[in-house]
Amino acid sequence: MKQIITVNINSEARELAVESHRSLLDVLRLEAGLTGTKKGCDVGECGSCTVIMNGKPVNSCLVLAVEADGAEVLTIEGVQRSVDEPHPLQENFMKCGAAQCGFCTPGIIVAAKALLDENPTPSIDEIRFALAGNICRCTGYTKIIEAVDRTARELHSATQGVAA
Amino acid sequence: MNARSFEALDVPDVVSVDAHRSVIGTSVKRSDLLGKVTGDAKYVADMNMPGLLHGKTLRSKIAHARIVGIDTSRALALPGVKAVLTHQNVPRVLHAGSPHPRSASVTCDQYILDGKVRYWGEGVAVVAAITEEIAEEALGLIDVQYEELPAVFTVEDALKPGAPLIHDRAPGGNLVLDPVVFARGDIEKGFAEADLILEGEYEGGRPTPAYMEPNVCACQWDGNGNLTVWISTQTAFMVRGIMAEVLGLPLHKVRVLVDHMGGGFGAKQDLFQTEFLCALLAKETRRPVRMEYSREETFLGGRTRHPAKVWLKQGFRKDGTLTARQARVVFNSGAYGSHGPGVTIVGTSAMTSLYRCDNIHLEGRCVYTNSPIAGAFRGYGVVQTYYALDIQMDEAAVALGIDPVELKLKNAVREGDIAPSNHPLIGHGLEDCIRRGQQEVGWAALRKRPRDGEGVIRRGWGVGCEMHGSSAYPGIKEQGNAIVKMNEDGTVVLLTGTAGLGTGAHTALAQIVAEELGVAFENVSVVHGDTDVVPWDIGAFASHTTFMGGRAAQMAATEVKRQLLDRAAKQLEVDAGDLRVRDGVVTVLGMDRSITVRDAVCAKKGIPAAQFVGSATYHPTKSYSFAAHFVEVQVDTETGQIEVKQVVPVHEIGKVIHPVGAAGQIEGGIQQGIGHTLYEDYQIDLRTGRSLNANFVDYKMPLSMDMPPIRTVILETAPDPGGPFGAKGVGEDPIVAIGPAIANAIFDAIGVRFRHYPIKPEQVLQRLAELHASRSPE
Repeated sequence: MKQIITVNINSEARELAVESHRSLLDVLRLEAGLTGTKKGCDVGECGSCTVIMNGKPVNSCLVLAVEADGAEVLTIEGVQRSVDEPHPLQENFMKCGAAQCGFCTPGIIVAAKALLDENPTPSIDEIRFALAGNICRCTGYTKIIEAVDRTARELHSATQGVAA
Repeated sequence: MNARSFEALDVPDVVSVDAHRSVIGTSVKRSDLLGKVTGDAKYVADMNMPGLLHGKTLRSKIAHARIVGIDTSRALALPGVKAVLTHQNVPRVLHAGSPHPRSASVTCDQYILDGKVRYWGEGVAVVAAITEEIAEEALGLIDVQYEELPAVFTVEDALKPGAPLIHDRAPGGNLVLDPVVFARGDIEKGFAEADLILEGEYEGGRPTPAYMEPNVCACQWDGNGNLTVWISTQTAFMVRGIMAEVLGLPLHKVRVLVDHMGGGFGAKQDLFQTEFLCALLAKETRRPVRMEYSREETFLGGRTRHPAKVWLKQGFRKDGTLTARQARVVFNSGAYGSHGPGVTIVGTSAMTSLYRCDNIHLEGRCVYTNSPIAGAFRGYGVVQTYYALDIQMDEAAVALGIDPVELKLKNAVREGDIAPSNHPLIGHGLEDCIRRGQQEVGWAALRKRPRDGEGVIRRGWGVGCEMHGSSAYPGIKEQGNAIVKMNEDGTVVLLTGTAGLGTGAHTALAQIVAEELGVAFENVSVVHGDTDVVPWDIGAFASHTTFMGGRAAQMAATEVKRQLLDRAAKQLEVDAGDLRVRDGVVTVLGMDRSITVRDAVCAKKGIPAAQFVGSATYHPTKSYSFAAHFVEVQVDTETGQIEVKQVVPVHEIGKVIHPVGAAGQIEGGIQQGIGHTLYEDYQIDLRTGRSLNANFVDYKMPLSMDMPPIRTVILETAPDPGGPFGAKGVGEDPIVAIGPAIANAIFDAIGVRFRHYPIKPEQVLQRLAELHASRSPE
């Protein structure tokens, strides 16, 4: 039994026919063709499927797609500023070596974006806390935290009109 | 919590003795990362295939049993189910799960599906259906009748006379292979010369790699008998070889494709039953089939580190000189051999080295049990044995009243000492690492600091050491291969069989080619992950890729450079020997004449463009990297909680190709090593063999809140002439050295010696209570 839902995904209104038991994760990956959001556990333990829904980071595997009816969803595909311009978080993840195998990376960048949207000047501990639901097995987190911290400083400097 | 800020890019300190190079040694932007940070990178589970079917595996809920009946009729009748396979309708070919070619350590002990199950969670049937849900539902409709057999879960039980035999193969008695022995000198004489003899039993738990991307493969036949396999594997050519063998196909009919993969850490070298079954389901249904593990299945049907017991006895003179070392190591292989032989040989023989000793006798055993399959995992047996060795060195230092760092320095292996591979060591890498770490942390002052033996929160420092070979040679007669082509605009393509595990190895290889050819890094692209196209490679494991694949790439680039300079010499009307190429320009030495690489290659009037191709095969020597980790821990004596406060890892890796990438390997290895030592243990019920914590809530790993600051130092003091520009491996060492460093630091903090991992808070409390009771007057 399918239901029609309307979701604004990455600033584009999408009408999708979904089965009521389907997770938002599966619908994003299978119906919307947005495979950047990863399935690492499907039970809310790893954070690889993090998307921003109505301004809050969520594990999309724990959200039923029908719950997202009418919602605004941002996935990793919507994070970059334009085709040729990655988001500063993405730039810094590359620069700092904050991604290795890359499987957790979309979820972590989205979680970090949710943090910076909410708190543009997080402390190191606030960054660590915000990412505590995202498992990375390659990096030891050091470079991830560094990349988020650098981004926060750069963005903050830019908004304050201070040279970075 | 240790807060720190990152003002400057946090690159490791690199202590270089090498001349300036333009591409290697710089942290160029990795060529695979843009796709990964934007979500565009496609992993196997992301691929869209028209007509795709989903395969699912029915797993045994009994640890040891014969299958006496299996009825699939109800599953087949479910609408949407397209095929069901059991041991009754798949080829029965005995094969090894870890088929290293030309290796003594191959253990042929498994079938695609067997009429017997040997561990709780083993696959007994598979279904292909139009959706994952239907496939799951169909699994519940398969009726399997088992005749239960007695099961054994510990090595002690498995080795008892009369224990149930898990396999009917030599050498028998549940041994995976005959015991291995490494001996030199005379241990009786050595122990007789000792002033102090220590002996102890050390035990390692069952951590799993827990890569973030669950195992996945997809198969499709093209109608002409050609099979294509998309798979997340470290060893595409081994997958091709064993799938061809088991399915009865020549190699050119099997094409294995690997692009991005979400980590492996060693374990994604094996074949996991599903690859064959996926191919057979695709054949039967004439449709593409994909099989993705659930997270639970990555535990059940994945691979773990070998649980191990190490009995170790060493003799010392009063001045700290080692006189004898004797050890018996027993590895628990689980239900199949997988990497048991390799791990047993590498892990046991590692104890011939690290700390010098003339009189050595080491025995290694590997034992089948009805437990989850242990396989390859970063550190490969050495995590277990060096944990024992390094902790006992610390015990000896205490008993002898010597600074443990001084004791390790005194006995550290040095240039010319015989390595576990039987090759003489190059350089004094271990000594250099220890000395540098001493300076970095101010060890002398730390030793003299006032100690708090009464406070609730106590801190301590410890040191752990490690050496690890680059490549699996000579245990496996491997080789590095590469093809380098120069395009008619001077850009370059490297074809390599090495796998992109996620470490950035292909970036390092491109850097090596760029450096050798004198062109910009951005002008080199890398083709990999297609067994029909790229030259053969054994796979990404054992710190093979940069050392072997990198050296082969360098050699192939050298050949292209020769061709380039020959052509440039004709155009410049000079001798090729007078030319050098750098930054994309060929210049004549001592003269103000030059030509760009692009102009030298491209077509001109009357001269066609050149096609330069170089190919190379590298037969290795043996090379060792070294590390010393200095660790500070904090122990809460009221809760038993152990927190790692800071780590100073010092690694000697010959020549660093990409400093940020190398540091990333070290930091990631430390994360996994902290996990091993303090949290991670995949557990089974010792009565039934049932898995107890096959998920990320109950299997505890270090998270972002748990990681300490890491101050990485990389040394280049012992470059290896066999490696590209002297480079050696870096992937294995960090996970080994961190463990004993933590255990030794815990002793320093609270005076309690732990000889096992993981070390858990309740054990800390129990041991502190015992210590307190033993010190209290009766």
